[in-house]
Amino acid sequence: MVTDPSISLKIRTSLAEYLKRDPSTILTTQHLRDDLGLDSMAVIELLYRIEEAFDLQIPDQDLVGLTNVGHVVSYVEKRLGKPAKPSKPKGKKKS
Amino acid sequence: MRSRVVVTGLGIVSPIGIGVSDFWKAALAGQSGISAITSFDPFPMDGYRSKVAGQVRDFAVERFVDSAHGERVDRYAQFALVSAKEALADSGLRIAKENPHRVGVIVGAGMGGMVMGEREITQLYQQQKPHRVHPNFIPVITLNSASGIIAMAYGAKGPNLTISTACSSSAHALGQALHCIREGRADVVITVGADASITPLVFAGFCSLRALSSKFNDHPEKASRPFDRLRDGFIMGEGAGTLILESAAHAKRRKARVYAEIAGYAATSEAYHMVIPREDGLEVAHTMRLALGDAGVTPAQVDYINAHATSTTIGDAVEVRAIRRLFKSRADKITISATKSLIGHTLGAAGAIGGIASVLALHTGQIHPTANYDDPDPACALAGLSRSAQERRVKVALLNAFGFGSNNAAVVFKHVKRET
Repeated sequence: MVTDPSISLKIRTSLAEYLKRDPSTILTTQHLRDDLGLDSMAVIELLYRIEEAFDLQIPDQDLVGLTNVGHVVSYVEKRLGKPAKPSKPKGKKKS
Repeated sequence: MRSRVVVTGLGIVSPIGIGVSDFWKAALAGQSGISAITSFDPFPMDGYRSKVAGQVRDFAVERFVDSAHGERVDRYAQFALVSAKEALADSGLRIAKENPHRVGVIVGAGMGGMVMGEREITQLYQQQKPHRVHPNFIPVITLNSASGIIAMAYGAKGPNLTISTACSSSAHALGQALHCIREGRADVVITVGADASITPLVFAGFCSLRALSSKFNDHPEKASRPFDRLRDGFIMGEGAGTLILESAAHAKRRKARVYAEIAGYAATSEAYHMVIPREDGLEVAHTMRLALGDAGVTPAQVDYINAHATSTTIGDAVEVRAIRRLFKSRADKITISATKSLIGHTLGAAGAIGGIASVLALHTGQIHPTANYDDPDPACALAGLSRSAQERRVKVALLNAFGFGSNNAAVVFKHVKRET
């Protein structure tokens, strides 16, 4: 689903900083809670960082859909007005 | 019969040393931890009347605590975590082997998470963006964040409390921990005092109160001078101290090394004034008397007093008046020292750090000096005050702590014979 690699990279880098991991180990398919171990408070902190990084405000009602990394990337793209169309088919890809 | 309570572990973060060994070495040498304030940088110091403080230098929590706990809390709670870690290791206690519901945490903190507090308030007012207030703001500034994070870090599931009585917070924490174990509600209480609020707003507030020294900005190491004629106010400090309190039976069962017994405590209010003590020292004397009674000792048995002694004109004189009132001719036979002469007033940490100095006096027979006691104020003269370290076999030590809001605390420690 990722169209703009810079957005995806920025989000994964933000996550990687928070989790103290290499950004390349963070995949868009990963579930924030089940795969990355973020509890609900940590998800809120992550979204706070993303709001800062992209100068966005994420309303409460939008939080429910943001459960994996890909959701967050598509959501930010949508909010920034970039079409969330696949530029090329993509499955699991390492960094 | 109520259970006896002993001290089995110590830990400290202070302006003269992180770790009990470094702290005690520096304290016995009379080393000053007071220096020019640098932590406000780039905020200018020009407008401040006082410009010096007892700062903990080069502190990075990740050097001491390897978990994620340290990063989610404010500086004061980081200090608390680091001192608790040292004290637990020192005590040999392994909470994983204990019934975790019998291990409590009681923290004394006066100001709490002011570093983040001030930053967020400033940003909110400047930028007017409420959605940019950090999601951790509330959990971090809530005054029990230190007691909470310590419990989480070590799995202590017993009573978890925070006592906030300004400058006497952790002396009351020691007393409440003593009661908690005496009453059988816990076997062990990790007892902590912590504060780190040398921040632009809090420091300005104390300046405005005219509570801080301002005559020694060019000679920071001379600024904190309890009982000296030239004293002109207290010096803010920061830090944390932890004492592991444990029922004597529990300590014996696990063959723990015992530093001292914590034997008595009293809490009173002067019901008098928010920031000024009663001049006659009557209530302070009463508080000390109650604590000694609770410990089952008489004033004549006291060998050492770790004085509250903040280096204010009124406070020091009142404390000496109270000591004379209670101890009469014995007053000049008691060795007295003021830990704040070395590190400044660490507010919520002061009771715990004074407690550590008292316990070490009992355990080692050495008493740290009172720095800058160069020209004794006749209103504060006591023969047992000294600029140099003293050696004395201490059997009973008394810790004083008084706080804004008109509250007083006194804690009594006793020497314990070493068992093999």
